Amino acid sequence: MKKFRTSKGLIGIALVGAVLLIAILAPLFIGADLATKMNMAARLRPPSADFLLGTDQLGRSLLYRVMLGARTSLTIAGAAVITSIVLGLPLGIISGYFGGHLDNVLMRLVDTLLSFPALLLALAISAMLGPNFQNTIIAIGIAFTPFLARIVRGEALRVAQMPYVEAARSSGTNDFHMILRHILPNILPAVIVQGTISLAFAILAEAGLSFLGLGTQPPQSSWGLMIQASRDYLDVAPWTALVPGAAVALTVLGLNMFGDVLRDALDPRTK
Amino acid sequence: MTYLLNRLFSIVLTLFLISIITFVVTNILPGDVATMIMGTQSNPEALAGLRESLGLNDPWIVQYGHWIGGILTGDWGHSLVFKEPIGLLLVQKIKASSLIVVMSMTIALVCAVPLGVWAAVHRDRWQDTVSSGTALLGVSLPDFFWGIMLILLFARGLGWLPSSGFTDPAVDFGAAIAHAFLPSLALGLGLMAHLTRMTRSTMAGILGQEFIRVGRAKGLSERSVVWRYALANAIGPVLTVAGLQVGYLFGSIIVVETLFNYTGMGWLTYQGLLNRDVPLIQSTVFVIAAVVMFANFVVDLLYLLIDPRIRLG
Repeated sequence: MKKFRTSKGLIGIALVGAVLLIAILAPLFIGADLATKMNMAARLRPPSADFLLGTDQLGRSLLYRVMLGARTSLTIAGAAVITSIVLGLPLGIISGYFGGHLDNVLMRLVDTLLSFPALLLALAISAMLGPNFQNTIIAIGIAFTPFLARIVRGEALRVAQMPYVEAARSSGTNDFHMILRHILPNILPAVIVQGTISLAFAILAEAGLSFLGLGTQPPQSSWGLMIQASRDYLDVAPWTALVPGAAVALTVLGLNMFGDVLRDALDPRTK
Repeated sequence: MTYLLNRLFSIVLTLFLISIITFVVTNILPGDVATMIMGTQSNPEALAGLRESLGLNDPWIVQYGHWIGGILTGDWGHSLVFKEPIGLLLVQKIKASSLIVVMSMTIALVCAVPLGVWAAVHRDRWQDTVSSGTALLGVSLPDFFWGIMLILLFARGLGWLPSSGFTDPAVDFGAAIAHAFLPSLALGLGLMAHLTRMTRSTMAGILGQEFIRVGRAKGLSERSVVWRYALANAIGPVLTVAGLQVGYLFGSIIVVETLFNYTGMGWLTYQGLLNRDVPLIQSTVFVIAAVVMFANFVVDLLYLLIDPRIRLG
């Protein structure tokens, strides 16, 4: 794990750790009413000692809202990535391990799905199901599945040709056992790396969906929703856009840095 | 020839699959088109009548047949929101969007290739840190956030460019470019960051190869080694990634065009999604997926042209 001791790895871990801590702890210490109660006397205040990051158009503290938004964003992104792994992992393993016609059919389907921009697919599914918290997860999860299936399939194909798989096969291991004991553990590193990178994209996707009104719905606080609300007040209160924007940027930046280092450390091809 | 025929068959098959996926995705909704046209307060009998005349009681396969038949014969149906033929809308909006797609791709490539090469040549030195760090920041910010920053800076702050709207290039070319510039830049910045990262890693790999050392050993100038020999080998993968990013671009275009009120394909798609205008959603989603597929096909062909090492057997 020496590779994590680069400045990039450390900054990545620090950023991801900080956001995770805020997401877990903030709702325990910040009462929900602090972030939702309107205070018309303190509308659009710039950052000050009373309001460290300023207030929004309804006089709510941006610091509290951005901290509570961390949980929304991370929960949706995390659940969406898990959904895509649950769907994509079996698809990719079956395709790569068994090969043949099944592989052709499945990968033709996956390639076709890749022609749909992920954001478009997520927006369409969310709009069709009716936008809310849960459907945002489903929409992003399904939209990310083809990417994951493609990567898992490639890895499964590579691992299935390894001598130890051949050895296990010649000693009579059945397919189920083989996948569980020999294939799965060896493709896990690639799945973890892809999962981390997908997490970064999922946070961007959630922000995009919420920004367009087809993701998280008010009064829940979400970074995308905060940026959307700031649009009408850009001239007088640019900080209402900058605060949630910076939150998205720092989180995604941290995940990307962490993902880059993780890839160098786990990917067998770069060792 | 066999290759081209194969590809042609594959394109037709993929288009068919795209149409099926589009149809499935747009038919999972709980509500139905009839309720959307007449509203939820309407008389149930009238609703049932409309449903019957729209063919909504037919089995899925028949409904799909009607839809795909219409697409093949050029009858794309009517938009429920715009009350206009969808075919007509699509032609207008595709024209508007192609301007910003071309502009953002150009901005991205023109900046990304030199930046990536610069980072690769000075690998692990400050130049690399600056270039790679900027690129990493670029891929970490949502396009609409870039958009908002650009509006603040160039439209509100400096007042140089308009922050919203669209002008037809045929009417006033200068105004069209001015309106398209900020959306293109917002799209181009994210794209540029991706391509810079790609150029850097490809170039770094190539600069470590034997033929580069041979080039240097026989006394070629560093400039010629980097920009002629190494870049010629790197440009293929970079263009492939640029082609693959067309899909990403058509996703981002929905957000960015909506932000800038630029009435193109992305804006049209969003209007369809927002108003649950199912016929419009079906057509826009189908067209965007088809465009992305064709873009990838064109990249494959380009790859054949620029890389003489790939021969078709």
